[in-house]
Amino acid sequence: MALIKRKWNPVEADEWTKEDWLVIILSPIAYVLIMLGIAFSFLLFWTGFIILGVGIISIIIIHWVIDPKLQAISSEYELRQKEYIQELERSVRWEEHHE
Amino acid sequence: MVTFTALDWIWLSLFLILMVGCGVLFYRLGKRSESDFFLAGRGLPWWLPASSVYATHTATDTPMWVTGVIYRYGLSGLWYTFFSAWCAISAFVSTRIFRRSVAYTQAEWNTVRFGGLGAEMLRGWIAGWQVFMNMFILGWVGMAMGKICYFAFGWPTWIGLITFSSICAIYVLSAGYWGVVMADFQQGIIAFSVILIVSIWGVIAAGGPSGIVEKLASMGESWRLDPFAFSGWFEGDFPVIWFITMLFIAVLGGFGMGTSIDWYPEAQRIQSNKTVRDASYSIWWGSLLVIIRNSVWAIAILGFYVLYPNIEQTSDYELGWFRIGFEYLPHGMVGFFFAAILAIHLSTISTHLNLGAVYATRDLFKHYFRPQASEKQIIWFGRVATLILLLGSFFYGLMMEEITSWLIFALWLMAAGIWLPNILQVVWWRFNAWGYLSSWIANLGLSWLVVWILPEFGIIPELLDYQQFWLLMVLGALIYIPVTLLTEPENMEHLVKYYVMSRPIGWWKPVKKEAIRLGLLQAIKPVKH
Repeated sequence: MALIKRKWNPVEADEWTKEDWLVIILSPIAYVLIMLGIAFSFLLFWTGFIILGVGIISIIIIHWVIDPKLQAISSEYELRQKEYIQELERSVRWEEHHE
Repeated sequence: MVTFTALDWIWLSLFLILMVGCGVLFYRLGKRSESDFFLAGRGLPWWLPASSVYATHTATDTPMWVTGVIYRYGLSGLWYTFFSAWCAISAFVSTRIFRRSVAYTQAEWNTVRFGGLGAEMLRGWIAGWQVFMNMFILGWVGMAMGKICYFAFGWPTWIGLITFSSICAIYVLSAGYWGVVMADFQQGIIAFSVILIVSIWGVIAAGGPSGIVEKLASMGESWRLDPFAFSGWFEGDFPVIWFITMLFIAVLGGFGMGTSIDWYPEAQRIQSNKTVRDASYSIWWGSLLVIIRNSVWAIAILGFYVLYPNIEQTSDYELGWFRIGFEYLPHGMVGFFFAAILAIHLSTISTHLNLGAVYATRDLFKHYFRPQASEKQIIWFGRVATLILLLGSFFYGLMMEEITSWLIFALWLMAAGIWLPNILQVVWWRFNAWGYLSSWIANLGLSWLVVWILPEFGIIPELLDYQQFWLLMVLGALIYIPVTLLTEPENMEHLVKYYVMSRPIGWWKPVKKEAIRLGLLQAIKPVKH
């Protein structure tokens, strides 16, 4: 079994898995790296360019890990979205709660 | 005082024509349906709402806020601006869950997540609160524009407040969210470009990057280049504990919905995306742009500090970035700079006009008063609500004196006591409508008491920001946790419906088990090796 799963069927993709958790951890780290990297790079500190580079690599990893899963979730979900919107319109009406 | 040349007026006129033109161009799309007027038909590719996320969160008061903290704390002030990092986790957690609920607003989501009378009360409460908050935000952002116009042209503040919000209302009234998001796209590009140009200009004026570093060193202020230069663990005006608290609030807040006041406009953008994947990317990339912008600003403000190191009054140094633009850009470019300020301003105003209107229309007018209203009636009511919000914002704006204190109090009101409940409603199946409702009511009272009333009467000392946060969180929990556990759980059938549609993260085992038992979900068996 691969360390990072990249082929998903919609049922598997709907579950919260280690790929989600990896991205949940990496994503704020990427934000911090980009924030500090840009600031230091603007000041022409060499550390800034390195931090920025690591930040960009972490963004690439995030995309590589989560994009196949998001695609699988979206493709399945969009098939049922119309039905969900109709259900929403029906279920959230004030009148029906009092029938 | 700034004097405009003919070229400056041309920049300004061109921009206003371009922006109001958007309203005319998208008028027909906006009036097609309720979902078009408020969500652009739920069909946008991720980069359009992303530009809107960025443009909306670059308001007229944002450069003042960012300038204020960077001028005061140096690069460690960047952590104050890191609040937008809630999107780092939210993009892949709560954004995904919210988009799947297909709810128009956070208030509507309450009736999808919770059921019965409690959910109805919550919907009414959140909707009313959001109408008020949007009017309030429109007032304070409008007043920031009033201050800038006073600084630049010497106009009385009410002129800046009323004139530009009214111009903005033209395209929001015409095209609804279509007008907002399309104008945001061009405003986002203009604003980002000008922020970059003016900031680079400021850095050059201060002697360039190495000049800034050298001058700070000669002034004995090199600590300003250290993003971890805190005043101590617990003491001083920016202790480590406050830094940790801010990171905690910002980052973990991404698991919840409403942990930041920015969630409410983001929720509208999330739903306007055409897929769940687009929704995630729009929030993630839009917020990344905000973070990049903050860093660019921060260096320009360091340059401003080098140029003007001894400004004591907050209200004076808060205008630092604007001063760089007005005082250092060449003639003929000042109009371009002012057009960019307008872009920054109008993108925020348009968002809150339309956002307040969706709550007033969808959650109050349609839900409680006219459930059978036609699409045409709904759109017309949306326009009336937009107009009422505009007029109300003038009233609020004229009441506000000091931007920062209002901003901080509003953030507290929205963040501290309900921060955890906003997460619990997403991650814990047992958290019910009564628990959530009680947390809101308790927070309103406790915030007033802890932040203003009790210190005013000397009953408790004036607490630091991080102390207020933890105290409000604990005091609130002492109310809403017992309320939750002493009242009935939500109806299981309702929870199963919500779970199957939204697939929330966290502690949902009993609900998932029931969904599998009913045959609504497939159980995934672990692979044996």
